Formats: sequence, structure tokens, C-alpha cells
Amino acid sequence: MLDRRALLALAALPALPVRGQARTRYVFDQSVGRIGFSARHLGLFTSQGQFDRFQATLLIDPNNPQNAAVECVVETGEVSIPFPGATDLLRSEAYFDVARHPTARFAGEANGLTEAGGFPIAGQLAVRGVTRPFRMTARLVERQGGVARFQAEGEMRRGEFGMVADRTLISDAIRLSVDVRIQA
Amino acid sequence: MTPERWSRPQRRLHAWGAVLVVLTLALSLAMVALPMSQLLAKFLAYQLHKTFGLLVLILTLARLGFRLARPAPALEGLTAARQRAARWGQAVLYALLLVVPLLGYLTAQAAAGPVPTTLFLVIPVPHLLDPDPALYAWLRPMHQIAAWSLIALAAAHASLALWHHRQGLPVLGRIWG
Ligand code: HEM
Repeated sequence: MLDRRALLALAALPALPVRGQARTRYVFDQSVGRIGFSARHLGLFTSQGQFDRFQATLLIDPNNPQNAAVECVVETGEVSIPFPGATDLLRSEAYFDVARHPTARFAGEANGLTEAGGFPIAGQLAVRGVTRPFRMTARLVERQGGVARFQAEGEMRRGEFGMVADRTLISDAIRLSVDVRIQA
Repeated sequence: MTPERWSRPQRRLHAWGAVLVVLTLALSLAMVALPMSQLLAKFLAYQLHKTFGLLVLILTLARLGFRLARPAPALEGLTAARQRAARWGQAVLYALLLVVPLLGYLTAQAAAGPVPTTLFLVIPVPHLLDPDPALYAWLRPMHQIAAWSLIALAAAHASLALWHHRQGLPVLGRIWG
């Protein structure tokens, strides 16, 4: 069922407006990339986790990455974090509520502009059934042979998605990061 | 010359050490039992367990310093064999009071998920090891077994002291108060 959802979401992609002419469509998953997140705790330390399964589609012209469009569906049940017991906590109702919301999704587009540090990708982030505007900053890290490596980062406020538990211990601001290598 | 009692700082450190070991043990049971849904309480229990446990280590080092600097009061009224047994028991107690917190400190470092160690959430205590699940799987039961050995031996030590006190031997007055 998850896969069908992901596929449906991906199938919707060509409907995104195509600005750059030479954009190629890449479909990829956790085998070539990593989607991670991090939180701060009492100003003392940072914890990091990741999603072990996701499906993403990238429409991009590697020579013109600031015209990219991206769509990504992560399986919330495949969240993982190296603290004993914490993975189950993240799957629970108070966090990703995996039983009711088995996927989270981001779809966004670059606006053709570059900024210091990369090019912004603005779109919508859907977590726990709440959809909100979200922005990431992406950059082409390196291109070697036929492989291009992109990284993107953005910060969400989990409270905006109804994820309000343990606010004293776990920061409201959660950094999301994407690191992917695509065979161009 | 052999003194009659342990010195005042020695008596204080002994009492604080006993209180801290009991508190540290109680916190260890609470921190493990608390559910993840009470994350803040669980986290604080871990931090206090580590704080009090490290204080036990520091107190014990101080106690050993005093112990080496000043002769122990004589154990009057005990047979030579029992005196020897008491000294040995106390030596093992000292060893466990060092080994248990040291194993705990290593356990905390080897655990997956790098939660820092602090004293009272304020003073950072460095971690020298990287998380290592295999090492943790070995250290954690070692720490736990050593801790319960310490508790058992300390309980026996306290019971014997009380028992000798009831027999009219002046052992309690030398270390307590
Ligand atoms: C007198 C000192 C200490 C005593 C008596 C003690 C006792 C214990 C006991 C009995 C447990 C097992 C709890 C259970 O599973 O029921 C435990 C676990 C643990 N202790 Fe200690 N401890 C001491 C010092 C320390 C110190 C100094 C540290 C770290 C700086 C520490 C870190 C830990 C950790 C990380 C665990 C494992 C918890 C887990 O895996 O969830 N302990 N301790």
C-alpha cells in the first residue's frame, strides 16, 4: 500500500510545470541517498536519525540545477535513530503516528535563482497529515564522471505539524538534510 | 600511633558515600523502568545516576587518599581472623567503589546514541570512547553485576557492623557521627 502511494505521488510529477527544457527525470531511493534529521537537546547535544526507506523523483538539468523540481515520499515507519527505544517512540502516536500516517512527503521546485550557499527549493511538506510550506536550500556538491552529488537542508518546526511531545527535551526546530548521488 | 576513631572528614565521606551509592542504585532502577513516554524524567534520571555515580568515584578517591595518609583505628575486641576478614572486605569494597563507577562511565560511552555525560547537567564530562554496540553488550552486564556485588557486600558490611555494635563492640561510634 505504501508503495502504491509513493508511485501515485511520483506519477503526479510530470504535471509540475517544466521550465528548463533539458531536465531529465531521475527516480531514486535510499540506495543512493540519505535523508536525515537532527534535533537539539537542552542546548547540550544533538541527536541524528534517518529514514531508511524513501522514494524520490528529481527533475533536473545538471547544467542548470537551479531549475530542479523534487518530490520525495518517506516511509515514516522506517525512521531510525540510534538511541535504544527511541525508534519506537518516533513511530508512536505522539510523533510520526505511523499507524495513521505511514508516509511523509515533500514536493518542491527551485525558482531558477541561486543564493549564497545554494539554490532554494520551495514547496509543501506533509507530515502527520498536516501540509505546510517548506523550503530547503540545495547545492550541487560535486560532479565526477557521470555522478552528481546534491545536498539539501531545511529546518522544520515539528510543533506546526502537531508533533508537540517532549518539548523541554527535544527542540521544536528539526533540521532535515538530504544527500544524494545521481547517475547523470 | 593508632587513632581511636576515623577522622572527621573520613566519617563524613563514609556517610556521604553510603548515601550516594543508595541514591545511585535507586536512580538506576528508576531510569531503566521509566517509559519512553516520560522522556524528560528518564533523561534526568540517567543524568543524575551518572552524576551521583561519578561523585562516588571522586569521594572514593578522596577516601583512599585519607586512608593512606593516616593509620586505621584498631579493631579491638575482634579475633585476628575476623580483623583480617574485615580488612579484606573493606579492601574489596574500595575496589568495587572504584570499578562500578568506572564500568558505568565506560558503559555510558559505548552505548549507541551519543548522550553526553554531565555532572548535574552543567559540567561536561568528556567521553573517550566512541559508541560501540559490541563493547556495550559486554560492559552493561558487567557494570550491573559489579553494582549488585557492591550493594550485597556493603549490606553485609553494614549488617556485621550493626551486629558487632549489638555485641557491645565500639565499631559504629568510630565511623558514624
Ligand atoms: C556507585 C555507582 C553506581 C552504581 C551503584 C550503579 C548501578 C547501576 C545499576 C544497578 C545498573 C543497572 C540498572 C538495571 O538495569 O536495573 C546501572 C546501569 C547503568 N549505569 Fe550505573 N551505577 C553506578 C555508577 C555509574 C556511573 C558513574 C555511570 C556513568 C557515568 C553509570 C552509567 C550507567 C549506565 C549507562 C547504565 C546502563 C543503562 C542502560 O543501558 O539503559 N553508572 N548502574
